[in-house]
Amino acid sequence: MKPRPPTLREKRRYLLVRIAPPSNVVEPRELYLAILEALSSLHGDTTVAKVQMAVVKATGEYAIVRCTRGWEALVTGAMSTVTAVNGNRVALRTLAVSGTILALQKRMAGSGGGGPERTCDLMYREKWYQAYYYSGEKVDLIEKGFKSQELLFLTTEDLEEL
Amino acid sequence: MSLTDACVHPFPAGDSSIRRMALEARQLGLSGLVAIDTPPGIVEGMKVTRGVIIAATQVKEVLSTLRKVPRADTLVMVNATDPGFVRAVIGLKSVHILRHVHKAEKYAFDHVAARMAADHGVAVDFDLRPVVYYRGVPRQKVLQRYRDVLTLHHRYEFPLTISTNSRSILDMRGPRELRALSALFDMDEVVFDGIAPAVDRLLSPGNPVRVIG
Repeated sequence: MKPRPPTLREKRRYLLVRIAPPSNVVEPRELYLAILEALSSLHGDTTVAKVQMAVVKATGEYAIVRCTRGWEALVTGAMSTVTAVNGNRVALRTLAVSGTILALQKRMAGSGGGGPERTCDLMYREKWYQAYYYSGEKVDLIEKGFKSQELLFLTTEDLEEL
Repeated sequence: MSLTDACVHPFPAGDSSIRRMALEARQLGLSGLVAIDTPPGIVEGMKVTRGVIIAATQVKEVLSTLRKVPRADTLVMVNATDPGFVRAVIGLKSVHILRHVHKAEKYAFDHVAARMAADHGVAVDFDLRPVVYYRGVPRQKVLQRYRDVLTLHHRYEFPLTISTNSRSILDMRGPRELRALSALFDMDEVVFDGIAPAVDRLLSPGNPVRVIG
């Protein structure tokens, strides 16, 4: 089918989203379903149909979400009510809004990778944790085990004070 | 834009240390935090104010707790319950913020309480945690209650604060997200921008108006 001319196409906006904590691996489909549920619960099916939300990309710490122009604030609001994706606790932070994916990709490249600098095992309050050290003195501790793993967010200074 | 999150619960009440919360707040673009039962100061370049929450049903209990509150640089918040309690609490000198209006009786914060809050400089807090976590009817009720408070604010202009009531960095939200969440109960840009300096003003209110000449 021949694509529509630009004047007849619907204008879109793209939102750059940071997914916290970075240790979580989030699948694009799961992220889409979580945002869709939040959007639908907040604004109803009629609005969801108008917004035409889609997850364009979700790699590592970042995701790019698409919506129809004019509905960005609404999608931002809905994304801030997402507290879990596929049972894992997450927070979705909207970093930027743009009319092109390229602009957001440049921004993603400029902000550097969100992966941990190093990981190690450590004992904290008589429990074993997997520690993820990130830039900016951030340390995420994930309790070792299979069930109800405790998650702690500290800094290197907090650990030194032990 | 400078904006202070009026209520966070750092470790051990939550899962994030105050330093980590301050780092996250700075990254999100907030200008300050009110941390419950945490010493005040500058943490990771972020202004941290000590907050105390009083959850009582009797004014007597509030008064006895107020006597134990450490110093003048502590922000005192009281959970709302019923109309009589709310009016009595707003009249107390050391109370800065009335919170949990959504959990109180339907008209616990009425036009009389609103006028008293404006006269005494007591702020009403919009706790966004239920907006984020609740679904369906409970959330609709919270939004309805907040909209009602905003109507009274337009008339009486008492101070407002906004809080995430976070126990984790994952519950914290930046100004852009807080603005979007506030828009859900029809808070406009002007009111939202007016919230920014509220916390500082609550701790150091201006002198009473003097009539000259």
